[in-house]
Amino acid sequence: MAEWLDDFFFTYETLIHGIGVHGLLALSMYCVMAVGQLSLGQAAFMGLGAYTGALLTLKLGLPFYVVLPASAFVPALIALLIGGPTLRLSGVYLAISTVGLGEVLRVIYINFESLTGGALGLSGIPMKASVSLIYALLLIALIMFWAVGRSRIGRAMEAMREDEVAAGVMGINVPVYKLGALIVSAMLAGIAGCLAAHSSSFIGPNEYGFETAVTILSFALLGGIGTPLAPVLGALVLTALPEVLRPLADFRLVINGMIIVVAILFLPRGVLPLRLRRSA
Amino acid sequence: MYRSLRAAALALGIASAATVPALAQDTVTVGAVEILSGPASGYGIAIKSGLEMAMDEINAAGGVLGGKNLALIVEDSAGNKDQAVNAARKLIGRDKVPLIIGPTLSNEMFAVGPVSNGRKIVTIGTSTTAAGITAMGDYIFRTALPEADVIPVTFKTAKEKLGVKTIAMMYANDDAFAKSGFDSMKAAAEELGFEIATIETFGSKDSDFSAQLTKIKSLNVDAIAVSALVEPVAGILLQARQLGLPETVRFIGGNGSNSPRLGEIAGEAANGLLVGSPWFIAKKDELNQKFVTDFQARYNKAPDQFAAQAYDTMKIVAEAIDRAGSAESDKIREALLATDHTGVMGPFKFTEGRDPASAEGVVVLTMQGGKFEIFE
Repeated sequence: MAEWLDDFFFTYETLIHGIGVHGLLALSMYCVMAVGQLSLGQAAFMGLGAYTGALLTLKLGLPFYVVLPASAFVPALIALLIGGPTLRLSGVYLAISTVGLGEVLRVIYINFESLTGGALGLSGIPMKASVSLIYALLLIALIMFWAVGRSRIGRAMEAMREDEVAAGVMGINVPVYKLGALIVSAMLAGIAGCLAAHSSSFIGPNEYGFETAVTILSFALLGGIGTPLAPVLGALVLTALPEVLRPLADFRLVINGMIIVVAILFLPRGVLPLRLRRSA
Repeated sequence: MYRSLRAAALALGIASAATVPALAQDTVTVGAVEILSGPASGYGIAIKSGLEMAMDEINAAGGVLGGKNLALIVEDSAGNKDQAVNAARKLIGRDKVPLIIGPTLSNEMFAVGPVSNGRKIVTIGTSTTAAGITAMGDYIFRTALPEADVIPVTFKTAKEKLGVKTIAMMYANDDAFAKSGFDSMKAAAEELGFEIATIETFGSKDSDFSAQLTKIKSLNVDAIAVSALVEPVAGILLQARQLGLPETVRFIGGNGSNSPRLGEIAGEAANGLLVGSPWFIAKKDELNQKFVTDFQARYNKAPDQFAAQAYDTMKIVAEAIDRAGSAESDKIREALLATDHTGVMGPFKFTEGRDPASAEGVVVLTMQGGKFEIFE
């Protein structure tokens, strides 16, 4: 490889990983928002995936192709368990209870010291997540969402998003769709968490709290939720912006914030305000 | 709308092109990753001030490698480990620095270390005190005394001068810094044969410590060791006095208590607290007095230990580059291992494990009327 290309890739490797991982998280957010739910549990599921993946790699030395599915499975299981009681809630109430899930998990990570390393977190995680793996998974997820979105299931989800009661009256099994969406989103967030842990070599208990939950939500808000591509675009913009603006030094975060405010004000339906067309 | 956005993007592009520093051939450029924005920016800004002041002094005295100027590129990490890694990668991949100073926090160092070490770029933490930092690789150094070296000095002083025998311990268990400090405290207490009456935990954002303190009060201990950042420590001191814990029960703090903010918040309640510090503003040696006066004149505020550590580190780096005879990372690494420097923190050498070799410079301080003074 040419030397400048090598240096370029080295310089932006973490950023390229970050954009892919955040793209998966944005899709995970999209998945619950597509059925009209507001969940702030994505960061918690991400943390579960990260801790599951990191522990399986560090303590048991399992190969990555076993670790990755396992870190999707554990959050999915938790989503199934908490889905029953919490999905009776809606709107901000669901958001608040899912924030609670994140807090509970954080306290567990802190106090289950023998396993999770407590506040010191887990370090020395081998870097096994490659760019090709992250983007292949992102592409697969995008294609699947696209295909589902254009199908009968996608129409049902859109109907629920616009009016849940009416959708129920029309014969859509609302609770099943909601639970399904929550589980799929938990799996995606878990995979993203596992990939993030295996690309940054260190994870700590305070990384999956409220702040991260809001960041993930903002991907979908900035990008829009009309198509699966929109939130991924939102993630791309929000992740790359702080690095693109790095030459501005002291004004970096000011300009960063201004761009976001301007985008939200003038593009209320997201930077990609399109809708999926129905398959013929 | 789109046109105006495009104009804005264009303006940004121009701005970014203009701020890329033009580096001449006759400079040696090193990088630094510090927290310059966000809630913890106070630490990063102090470090940056110390580094820049040392750099200007070095350049005024003829620079390095026989007349080359030393230059410094400081990147912001905002206290976020991903941004810290991105900043370090930018310094290595684009600016081609042979050496990075920082990052500010131990958590950031745990993420940056494997990356810079993998590229064989010397990385020197000036403020990262957690255990296990330098074990990450042969290119990771630190000039900050780990808590494991400072706390035994404080505890020993408490034992010898105050006759402390039984102690209670408290720490914030959700904070890596506080937990790591507590581990060092526990080891030091066991080493010195203290009787540990109880170990109590709290959250770093808690404001009510009455349950833990009431329990400790009933145990009649000689001293209470607290490992946490300054805000919870101040809260504990205030509530302990409200609960009527006698003044004879001494508080012993970790590195988090080593901040003038403690006196500002807790006032008289902090009287008698003991803390070990790698540096103290009122240290009487000439080098330190000059550093404090110059810093005050240049930045119009008093230096803190982070600025002092950064100042010494920059001098150590410049000396190592001179000894190495070139600005290559491998040679600087070899030269650093042979460091023998006397700075504002006292005499300094590295161990085989790239940590500071001696805790000789540690001074034990005590709080009196909201101000630190040297404990006699």
